[in-house]
Formats: sequence, C-alpha cells, structure tokens
Amino acid sequence: MKITFDSGRVAAICLFVFALLFAWSGSRIEYAFASDPLGPRAFPLLLAAALAVFSIWLFFRPGENEAWPRGIILWKGLGIPLTVALAALLLMPVGFFGVTFLLVSVIAWIFDAGLRRAVISGVIQAALWQVVFVHLLGVYLPSGSLWEGLAP
Amino acid sequence: MSLDYLLDGFVVALSWQNLLVGLLGCFFGTVIGALPAIGPINGIALLLPIAYTIGLPAESTIILLSSVYMGSEYGGRISSILLNVPGDAGAVMTALDGNPLAKQGRAGEALAISGISSFVGGMLGVVGLAFFAHLLSLLAIGFGPAEYFVLMVFSFATLASMVGKETVKTLIGCTLGLILATVGLDPTSGAYRFTFNEPELGSGIEFVMLVIGLFSISEAILLLEQHSAGATIIRQMGRTLPRIADLVLSAGATLRGSLIGFFMGVLPGTGASVASSIAYTTEKRISDRHGTFGKGDVRGLASPEAANNAAATASFVPMLTLGVPGSGTTAVMLGALMLYNIQPGPQMLTEQPLLVGGLIAALFIANILLLILNLPMVGIFARLLTLPNWILVPGILVLSVVGVYSTNASVLALLMMVGIGILGWVLRKLAFDMAPILLGFVLGHLMEVNLRNALAISGGELGIFFQSPISIVLWVFAVVIAAAPYLISRLARKAT
Repeated sequence: MKITFDSGRVAAICLFVFALLFAWSGSRIEYAFASDPLGPRAFPLLLAAALAVFSIWLFFRPGENEAWPRGIILWKGLGIPLTVALAALLLMPVGFFGVTFLLVSVIAWIFDAGLRRAVISGVIQAALWQVVFVHLLGVYLPSGSLWEGLAP
Repeated sequence: MSLDYLLDGFVVALSWQNLLVGLLGCFFGTVIGALPAIGPINGIALLLPIAYTIGLPAESTIILLSSVYMGSEYGGRISSILLNVPGDAGAVMTALDGNPLAKQGRAGEALAISGISSFVGGMLGVVGLAFFAHLLSLLAIGFGPAEYFVLMVFSFATLASMVGKETVKTLIGCTLGLILATVGLDPTSGAYRFTFNEPELGSGIEFVMLVIGLFSISEAILLLEQHSAGATIIRQMGRTLPRIADLVLSAGATLRGSLIGFFMGVLPGTGASVASSIAYTTEKRISDRHGTFGKGDVRGLASPEAANNAAATASFVPMLTLGVPGSGTTAVMLGALMLYNIQPGPQMLTEQPLLVGGLIAALFIANILLLILNLPMVGIFARLLTLPNWILVPGILVLSVVGVYSTNASVLALLMMVGIGILGWVLRKLAFDMAPILLGFVLGHLMEVNLRNALAISGGELGIFFQSPISIVLWVFAVVIAAAPYLISRLARKAT
C-alpha cells in the first residue's frame, strides 16, 4: 500500500506526538494524596492512550480535507489572528478605542474595503462600540495607560 | 409531581424585563441565523459574557440565550433560501428545495412556508420539552456516579455515530476536548495539571475563551477564503403568503419532521443539523414519488425546517435534566449555567423550578414572537444579507475581544483565544467538526469526577459500571448507536 503524506497524515503524526508528550507530562503530575483509587494521573493517561490509537487510525484513514489557501489569501488569513493578537498586546497601553480602530481598520482592509473605507469604518466602529460597551452597558475596558499621563 | 413550575415559569417569562430580553434575543437570533458569517454558537458565545458582566440574573440570561438560539433556527433559512448559503448548520437541507423555489420567483412563499413549519416544529418541541423534562427528571434521580459516567460514554457514542463525516475525526475532537478539560487544579487531590506554573491556568481553560477562539476567530479566517467566491442574492420575493394547497401538502412533512427532530434533539450531542438531515432524507424516501425533491418541493422545505426547530428545543431536555448537552449550542448554555454556579441535573426541577419553568415558557413565547417577526418582517432581515464582510467581520472580532476580556480581564486570555482560533482553523481545514471538541470540554470534568467517584465507592472494582439496569440499558444503546451506521450500510449493500 503506497502511503502519501497529505495533510491528514501529517496531522495524524502531530496528534500522535502530542499524545506521547501529553502522556509523559501526565505521568509527572505530582500529588501528595488522592481519595480515589485512580488519582489525578489516570484520566489524562487514558486520554493520551485513546488519542494515540485514534491518531494511528487517522493515519491509515486520513479521509478528505479542505483545500489549503495559498499565496496572498494565506498571508491575509494569518493576518487576521495576528491583528487580534497585536490588538490584545496594545489593549492596556493604547486603550479600547484605539485598539478597536486599529483592529477594525486592518481587518476591513484585509477584506478588500480599500484604505479610505477601512479607516472610516475603523473610526465609526470604534466610537460605536465605545458608546455601547463602556457608556451604555458599563463594561470595564481599558482607556489606555499611555494617555493617562496626558489627562488634565 | 405537579406542573406548577410551568405556571410560575410563565409569570417569570412574562415580566416586562424578560419579555424585552426575549424579544431582543429573538431579533438578534434571527439576524445571527440569517447571516452566514455567524452561527448560533458564535452568537450565544459572544452575548454570554456581556450578559454576565452587565449583571443580568440567571433566568434573564438563559431566556436571552435560548431566544437567540430559537431565533437563529428561524433566521438560518433566510440565507439558505435567498442565497443558497446556509445561515447555520441546521439550515443546510433547507437550501436543497428552498433555493430552487426562490429561483422560480416564489422566495416569499418559501420563506413563509419555512417560517410556519419552524413554528410548528418549535411549538411541538416545547410541549415535548415540558413533558419529557418532567419525566426524565423523575428517572434521573436514579443516576449515581457510575450511571452518569456510562451516560457520557453513550453521549460520545451518539456523537461519533451521527456527527461529522468521519467517525475517527469526531472521536479525536471529543478526546481533544476532554484533554483540554484536564488543565487546571484537580479538586480531589489538589494537584495542578498541565498549568506549566502559569497561575492563570490554575482554574483551567476558560470556557468563553475556548468557544470564541474555536468558533469566531477560526470562522473569520475561513470567511476570508470564501470572501472572493461571492454569491448572488435573490431579490424578487413574489407573494409573501403561502398557498393553502401548499400548506395542506406540507402538513404531513411538517409533523413528521417535528417528531424526528424532537427525538434526534433529545439524544445527547446530536443537535439540529443531524435532525434536519435525517428528516429530509426520511421525507424524501416517503414522499418523493415523481423526483420533485431538490427542485422546489415544499415538503422538502417544510420537513427539515420543522425538524431543526423541534431538535433545537429538544436539546434542552438532556441539558436540564441530566446536565448533558443535547447539541453544541446547549453545550454553551451549559457553560452559561455554570458561570452562575448552577449545576444542571435532575435536581434542577426541584432546586431551580423558576429557571426551568421560565425557560420553557420563554421558548413558547419566543416561537410566537418569531412567527410574528419572520412572516411580515422577513424582508428587513433579508436586507442584512447585503451587509459586506468588511463591516461584519471586524465587528464580530471586536465582540470576541470584549467578550473574552470582560470575563477574564487578562491579555493572556486574549492571546490564548487567538492560539485556540488558529488551532480551530487548522482542524476545520482538516474537516474536523468543532462541536465534539466543545462537548468533550464541557463534559470532561464531570466525566472524570464521576469515574473517580464511582471507583471510590466500589473500591476500584470496574463492575460498578455494569451493575444497575440504567447502566446496562445505556451500554446497550451506546453499542447499538455506535454500530448502527456500519450495520445500515452493510444491509444497504446486501439489498443492492
């Protein structure tokens, strides 16, 4: 039987390695006392064994996968979670309004809004969500440590 | 046991606050269902932390979220019929006959017939929920740790057999969810598991973060790939009221779909998409004598729509009475109850009668509100389909960030949400369903606790899992359901 290494089989190998690492990490759980016969290690080890078996099954029956994006679509696609991560890192210093403007503008641009519409959308949504969450619903969201020093 | 809790529930649901919350939930749910970009799980996951943070009481939050759920089951048909793109998983079968009807200039009639079928399915589902919740809660008092563990094995067997295209991927999804649930402090021994000395992981992976990462972040990346494909929206509605002849023709299909949907929905883990699929294929087998299904047959439209609404309601039965979600969406609702420190189970009807009664009453009221919203106002919801992704997706991501931050106040939680989102995208490209991961995560802690408690009671003897009649019946059901697809396909091959 000829085996080709498509993404399903690569995933099966990754899952098998993860199962081994999980089992190793689970076997090193430290505890002083357990009131039941199993203790805190048994369930994770059971799950690791199950995952190892299923990943071997997946290796021999990888099934159908969806087509992976390529080129600019792939880079733009990865740009979405990276933008959200950047927004998360800037949330405390820049504040909710600024981060929302950044997030909305960049994501809108990624979705082919064009630069002008992306920036306008960023301003409108930043203002809208600031009013809705902070002023109407009273949700606490950071105002930005960078600006606190500038406040009168 | 009396049904007084239902009357008290109507009093709760008909308070002005809960009526307003229910109406808002129905409206947002229809919008969420209509938009292909966001499904009921995303919508509920995004609203939950906001509802909790602004201090809505538990009954109002559950009424809001369940109204959103019901609304999305109505709304999903709008983009299925007009755009040939299902608004949510439960509306996939609706497009098969709904879109051809729309292309024949009968979009308005298709929307009306599906709206009425949804109403009938939803109402029969509510009656069934009231009856079965009461019955099942009496039975569930006999559940101990061993029976609960076997019930969860049965739930995963049902999932593996009925959800997703490939059994092995569903099983891996469940296992990954169970693995994620082991992170944090083990309450029995006090051991920290898989926290890597990070204090924020001491209480485990946060539920809202997992759901939003898996569903919203990964969905945003997938939408970019679909963004360039485009779809043509049908704008010509035709008449907006159905013909009497079509209503009579689809009556049988509506009732059959409702029954199938209800019983599928009661099974743990299955949900509206499985129910609507089984209802459509069954109706086709029964009624399609002239090859009209798939070409605009009203029965092919009515049956899955009735089924998905009945299933959506029925999925509350195992959630409320046994603490086991009937679908991915009720898994999120289970998470919502846990946020309020309410543990669903057989004791809910006695300890939280107003919440259970209020929920059932709210679902009854929601169905009426949704019929009113969806028949004359469907054109307004249809216009939402023209909203471009460059406005919609950033808004969804902002809600995701606010949702996770408002429940955690932690940048690390946001970064973990992103990481989970990327993992979710990779798994979805590999054709993994996300619902099994969610169900595994929600049930993981309970499953382990019940396993360990049962073995503590029996002194380590495994026989405890095979002793009681309830456990034996559940094991038999689990084996039958797990083996059913293979047996059916073998029988089908022998027949041909």
